[in-house]
Amino acid sequence: MKNRNEALDSYWRIGEPMVWISATALALTLLSAATLLIVIMVNGLGVFWPSDIEKVHLKDRPPVFGQLIRTEENAEKTGLRRQYKIANRDLYGLDFRWIDESQIDETQRPADLIVLERVEHGDFYGRLKTMTGPHTETSAVDLAGLNSALEKTTVELDQLSELEDKLSDASYRLEQLRLKQLKLDYDNAPVDTAAQSQLQRDKAELDREFGALITLQTRRLAEVRKAKAIFVDAAGQEKEISLVDIFQAYAPNTMSTGDKVVFYLHKLAELFIGEPRESNTEGGLFPAIFGTVMLIFVMSLFSFPLGVIAAIYLREYAKEGVVVRIVRIAVNNLAGIPSIVYGIFGLGFFVYGIGHGIDMLFFPERTPTPTFGTGGLLWASLTLALLTVPVVIVSTEEALGAIPREMREGSYALGATKFQTLYRVLLPMTSPGIMTGLILAMARAAGEVAPLMITGVVKLAPALPIDGNFPFLHLDRKFMHLGFHIYDIGFQSPNVEAAKPMVFVTTLLLVLIVLLMSSVAIGLRNRMKKRYTFGTF
Amino acid sequence: MNAAFLKKVKRNDQLARWVITVGGMAIIFSVIFILVLIAKVSLPLFLAPKAQLQQVVQLDRANEQIVTFGHDEYMETAYRLLDDGTTVFFNLEDGSEIDRFEPDPPAEGLTPLTVESFGRLRQAIGWSDGQLTVSQVRFKPFFDINNNNQRRIDHEIIPLALFPTPADGIPLISQARIDEEGRQTRVNRYPGNHLTLQVREVSENFLGDEEITETETTLSFNSSGTLTTLILSAAGQHLYAGTDRGELLRWYLSDTEEPKLIETVQAFADQRSITALNLVLGDVSLAVGDETGQVSTWFPVRDEMGDKKLKRIHTLSQHNGAVQKILPSPQDKSVISLGPNKLILDLMTSERFLLAFGEEEGLIDFRLSTRGDSILALTKEGRLLSWKLDIPHPEISLGTLFGKVWYEGYDEPVYAWQSSSASDDYEPKLSLAPLIFGTLKGTFYAMLFAVPLAIFGAIYTSQFARPRLREWIKPAVEVMAAIPTVIIGFLAALWLAPLIERSLGGVFLSLILLPAALMLSILAWQGARKIEPLKRLERGFEFLAIAPIIILTIAIAAACGPGLENLFFAGDLKQWLFTEMGTRYDPRNCIIIAFAMGFAVIPITFTIAEDSLSNVPNSLKAASLALGASRWQTVWRVILPSASPGIFAGTMIGFGRAVGETMIVLMATGNTAIMDLSIFNGMRPLSANIAVEIPEAPVDGSLYRTLFLSAVILFVMTFVVNTIAEIVRQRLRAKYGKF
Repeated sequence: MKNRNEALDSYWRIGEPMVWISATALALTLLSAATLLIVIMVNGLGVFWPSDIEKVHLKDRPPVFGQLIRTEENAEKTGLRRQYKIANRDLYGLDFRWIDESQIDETQRPADLIVLERVEHGDFYGRLKTMTGPHTETSAVDLAGLNSALEKTTVELDQLSELEDKLSDASYRLEQLRLKQLKLDYDNAPVDTAAQSQLQRDKAELDREFGALITLQTRRLAEVRKAKAIFVDAAGQEKEISLVDIFQAYAPNTMSTGDKVVFYLHKLAELFIGEPRESNTEGGLFPAIFGTVMLIFVMSLFSFPLGVIAAIYLREYAKEGVVVRIVRIAVNNLAGIPSIVYGIFGLGFFVYGIGHGIDMLFFPERTPTPTFGTGGLLWASLTLALLTVPVVIVSTEEALGAIPREMREGSYALGATKFQTLYRVLLPMTSPGIMTGLILAMARAAGEVAPLMITGVVKLAPALPIDGNFPFLHLDRKFMHLGFHIYDIGFQSPNVEAAKPMVFVTTLLLVLIVLLMSSVAIGLRNRMKKRYTFGTF
Repeated sequence: MNAAFLKKVKRNDQLARWVITVGGMAIIFSVIFILVLIAKVSLPLFLAPKAQLQQVVQLDRANEQIVTFGHDEYMETAYRLLDDGTTVFFNLEDGSEIDRFEPDPPAEGLTPLTVESFGRLRQAIGWSDGQLTVSQVRFKPFFDINNNNQRRIDHEIIPLALFPTPADGIPLISQARIDEEGRQTRVNRYPGNHLTLQVREVSENFLGDEEITETETTLSFNSSGTLTTLILSAAGQHLYAGTDRGELLRWYLSDTEEPKLIETVQAFADQRSITALNLVLGDVSLAVGDETGQVSTWFPVRDEMGDKKLKRIHTLSQHNGAVQKILPSPQDKSVISLGPNKLILDLMTSERFLLAFGEEEGLIDFRLSTRGDSILALTKEGRLLSWKLDIPHPEISLGTLFGKVWYEGYDEPVYAWQSSSASDDYEPKLSLAPLIFGTLKGTFYAMLFAVPLAIFGAIYTSQFARPRLREWIKPAVEVMAAIPTVIIGFLAALWLAPLIERSLGGVFLSLILLPAALMLSILAWQGARKIEPLKRLERGFEFLAIAPIIILTIAIAAACGPGLENLFFAGDLKQWLFTEMGTRYDPRNCIIIAFAMGFAVIPITFTIAEDSLSNVPNSLKAASLALGASRWQTVWRVILPSASPGIFAGTMIGFGRAVGETMIVLMATGNTAIMDLSIFNGMRPLSANIAVEIPEAPVDGSLYRTLFLSAVILFVMTFVVNTIAEIVRQRLRAKYGKF
């Protein structure tokens, strides 16, 4: 017994439990990271899965159609309750409903239940009753008939969208004319010059064209809108929905697992190429993805050369001494400055300083309406470039430092100058390191939100930064961003509960992008470290 | 070799050297530049106010007595009201007369006796039979089409009200007000502390006809002194009076039949005479000037009994003689007072002395422009002087930014941040104290959670973990650092916060159960480690073995939490906290912040600490182990002290990150600017405050500059911390070679 106690004592004395405690710290850290990823995966992956819709018969209330979300203990702790997504927001006012299991008589999964994804008011669960209007006469009153009618309306809508393109083009040209007019007025050009009269003629013609287009569009839209269908909900309430407002219709209860997988993939594709609907809570993420990519791209154009040059200066050109030490401190400070401070700097310097200056110099006729003097892609990119420069510097420096001295000396011995050595020997060898820095910087830019919020990101950008109108690349435009998208729909949307699935999907996408980028970067770096370790220690 | 080629090579080399050096130096300058720029934007907050004398106009006063005067917004035309009721409009630039309006008496042959000017260009003229007319001068700027679109200012006098002769005869002086509903209030003062109130109200009776009720009542009161000055609020609801024995009286006149004397306060113990009264913008605070030259402001504050009593809140500047007149600024809470030989401008809120001017000019009266940016003053000799005021940010001073301030309507001085409100006469509350407090509070809780985890985790990874596992752990933690904070914040607010709110008992239970389970499993391990295959766990797999225990413990805690709450806290811990401990439970609180921001800080601190730990030369470790020290003793006595600067640097950099973190706190704190240490409350840190307010802040306004100032504070905080960390790391690098 005594012996055992002694063993225990020494076990404590030599601090073995402390090893376990430190192991616990590591385990907790890794577990929390894993939890985060699992939560995002669980909530994000299932969003697009077309779950079955149940018809729930209640004891003393009318039945409801709903998609079972979860089951948990009820508030009185007397039994279980279920949360159903009942959709039909325009009929019931809410999307979700809690039902006590004790209230439920039975549940069925009728095959004729149809889910409509609508342009407005979210999903609709119900049965198809009748269809009226064009394209519906020949169709049977079932899902197949509805779908064929929908297809025909879609064809017409596509034609209409061509019209819409023409319209937006015309309005863009009108805007250009208005700006030209402004410029002429600002320059005090006499009214009777050739330029003025030409402008007037152009404007009159465009106005005519625009008016004609509008009338045509209104007429055709009214025509298309005539195609309607009447649906009934579980309680027998009827709802007339124009086919134009239906984005997609499907019957989950009749779909096989294979069908569901195909459907899921379709939805995923829509996520990447589709436009957002319903104040961003449904539809696709294309503008946000595009904006993020553009932002990263423009930012890299600035931060990459700056960072690499600064790192080369530090490692190869500067003499070790007070100056280099100060620069290092400055670089690390640059990395440590809160991103919101960069944001406010970007606002004060780029937007209100340089941007306003550009407006005053080049677009004085448009003031006080700002062109560059307001948040935009260019200013957000520049702000982020400043923020990510230290990342590029640190990893480039690290890579340069890892190259053994012999490489440089060999190059010099062959008669190469410093620049030639740098250009022909060192830079090729450091390229993985530089790539690492760049990818890490990009990952940071993809996830950073705070500085963007005040330098040009918006919840819904009317136009992409690239389009077919001269000069094709519009760096002054506002843009959308995946990170801000999460903040916006998660916190600023009127119906948070209904927006949640979309937030989780966006989060999942952003996490995957960022994790992929940084894993690649870190992998690259570790491989490179191994390659040159023979030189150190 | 080709000479031209060599020359080219050399030139390229020089060029590259030059470009690269410039690029490198640019980095230092950009750091300095960022600080300089944001500081430059916030600097005008502290610029000294200026008053510039613009014009001096000599009026022809040979045979006129000026009673009052006023001017238009553009300071181009002005008018003076003479003692015979004539209004003379004149050009402010040269004093030349433009127009002259004869008085319009209510009956033939009356002459004006008293004239009182109040509000925006309004005057009440008391006539020789006791009647009183109220009129308003209106300036109308317009653009003259016939004259090359030049701006001209038209003027007119609009009669507003006529009060009949009071029953008690002709008063010494009267004050009259008209409110927005047309209620007309007149207060008359007679010799011997006699005050009467005349009210004329227009109301609709049930038939829809207009009904006019006129009442006249005596305002009786007891006072040891004589009334010296009166002020009626803009709507005519409140009446304040001062006496020559230092008393302040306050009436509430809403009930016309029974106007109520609310209180009589002995304002000054030394019974000094009160010589001037006026209401500060917003009609809440009363500015009081006395015969010693002291200007102070008063408003009703709840006393111990719960009654609202007038109390001296702010003591402003001191004149060197009796205060003659006080006027409030029409734009902010500043007060301008005329003493025997100068004008003094003070800001009430911060008791900040702004300006003194017009010394030795012999000023007898003054007016403020409607924009509050210029002052017109009249001297004994009939000269009109005008000053342009340049007070960029009167409401900002070090006192209001960092100190406690007694705002209107508050019962005591507070630290408050409340930047905007719906009304114009609002006192902006721009105290940075609660925001700095919020930043430090959030950082503190986050560090409390993150630092032990990060450091112990780093120790384990670098010293005990299998090298093969280590190659996975480190990149995994580095990838963790890349997770965007917007995602952490979103999960914290929309997933973690409801979860913790639901199972608060479980959270606390797991805080107790986790160490207990850990101890138990260590004890259990004592027995288990004797078994050979299990012993291999001790070679760097401990954290894998402990993970299931942690998960199990948390699961048990979550399951038992509700039962525990039922047993000890009457079923609801949050309710119990509120009733028993008096702390309110916010769903978005410091527990959430500790987890979320801790999660963001851990990877950074971990990485730097791990780097410094693994860079301690192996020879040290080997020597220690060879001397018979256990693996923990080696770590604790040898490796940790050598690596401590690196660990310190990692902690500092983690601190810097927590201080500046924006998205997490923006989403998961609730953003209420309160100063409360409780872990169950949220806060509003500097960074989130900037993100919330800057989009709405008017460029170059006080709020805008204050936000830049808070960015400077954030910058300086992180700058100091990062610089210390970097210097420590540089020392360490010099000691142990590279890392």
